[in-house]
Amino acid sequence: MEDNELVALAQSGDARAFTMLVRHHERSLYAAAYAITRSQWDAADAVQDALADAYVHIKGLRDPARFGAWVSRIVVNECNDLLRKRARVVPMEDPPEPQAFVWDGPEDGLDLMRAVQTLSPDHREVIALRYFRDLKVAEIAEVLGCPPGTVKSRLNRAIGSLEATLRPGTGQEVPR
Amino acid sequence: MNCSDVRDMLESYIADDLTDVESARVAEHLSECATCSATYERTRNLVAGLKEIADAFVPADRFVVPPAYATGPKGGWAWRVAAIAASVVALAAVSALSVPAIARELPLPVAREIGALEERADELQQQVDELTVRLETIDGQEVAIVDTTEGDLSAEESEAVQRLAMDFVRAQYAGDPDALAAMGTDRLKADLAAHPGDYLRAGGDGLTFAQMTEAARTEDGTYLIFVRLSDSGDWSESQYQEDFEIKRVGDTYLVDFMGMDA
Repeated sequence: MEDNELVALAQSGDARAFTMLVRHHERSLYAAAYAITRSQWDAADAVQDALADAYVHIKGLRDPARFGAWVSRIVVNECNDLLRKRARVVPMEDPPEPQAFVWDGPEDGLDLMRAVQTLSPDHREVIALRYFRDLKVAEIAEVLGCPPGTVKSRLNRAIGSLEATLRPGTGQEVPR
Repeated sequence: MNCSDVRDMLESYIADDLTDVESARVAEHLSECATCSATYERTRNLVAGLKEIADAFVPADRFVVPPAYATGPKGGWAWRVAAIAASVVALAAVSALSVPAIARELPLPVAREIGALEERADELQQQVDELTVRLETIDGQEVAIVDTTEGDLSAEESEAVQRLAMDFVRAQYAGDPDALAAMGTDRLKADLAAHPGDYLRAGGDGLTFAQMTEAARTEDGTYLIFVRLSDSGDWSESQYQEDFEIKRVGDTYLVDFMGMDA
């Protein structure tokens, strides 16, 4: 079933339709949150909290076609809240490794995520929204509350930095 | 346009986000500059790689809906049937009390509650009238079929979808992931591989198909069917519902999504 129909059903109180929306979006939302927070556990918390918010407020979403951008904005806000809280916490040690996700991609795909995570916060956000959440420049501008021109220039710079990081001879290779 | 200008525009160029004039100028530079052309190729692979990993992170613990979710209104027919059945029992009890006669003697909150129940009765009766349940034999097993939609599917189509849902449930209880994968789309196969525990069930000696909806087809061609079943003799403790989204690929029907419901 398409997102538009599921959103309309969820807005009328159909819990199952909301679950289906969650299943359609959870992977890319998690990828976006993981890119932004750089922590597999914070990413899971951010997505969980964002989905709880989305469930409560979905009736307020006027245009069902905008669900993807709308839920992305909630996730980005949750991630930034978490990062602000983390900034006040003195890190002791990385948490042990039971993973918060199961990897279902190409063997070297995780290297690419690690490279994204080395970018600046602004650049991580635009990469996450553009490539993981598949949003258009205008939608990203709306999510981040900045002009489309700013989104374009951040994207170009972010991709430029990533390309330089992964260029052969710099220690990491572009997957594929 | 120099190398630096071009590199600042490569992302937009690959995304086809430039004006025709800008795009033509970038293309012209790339055809003349081997260094930028090599950067362009790497960037293009990089973008493809990013898109490829977007759906590769499978959360280990599935995201659950908030607690309010469980008590909120549900859209499933089984919930409605259960609610109707419960309310019909409640109403019978209330009617037996002969409400008007004793209402004066009841504390006000109770009288109010009875009034509210009566109002709900009309609404529920209408829902009962709209639902039709009939018995059908599918795969040699008698199952109560609930009509949820106008009969716009052919009998063959509806039965094929119903058979697939039943076979899927049987394979779940047989603990047979290969059989499940063979009945699923690529999306289901990936989910099954990541979360086998969501699909495989133990026991099932007393597996009974309690009720099933007719298959319904959405605008995008997805078939929806909800199966209510019980997996042990203890009828009151073991009933639940599986919700299926099924796709037709050529002449084959494949499960695209299966979710559990209370």
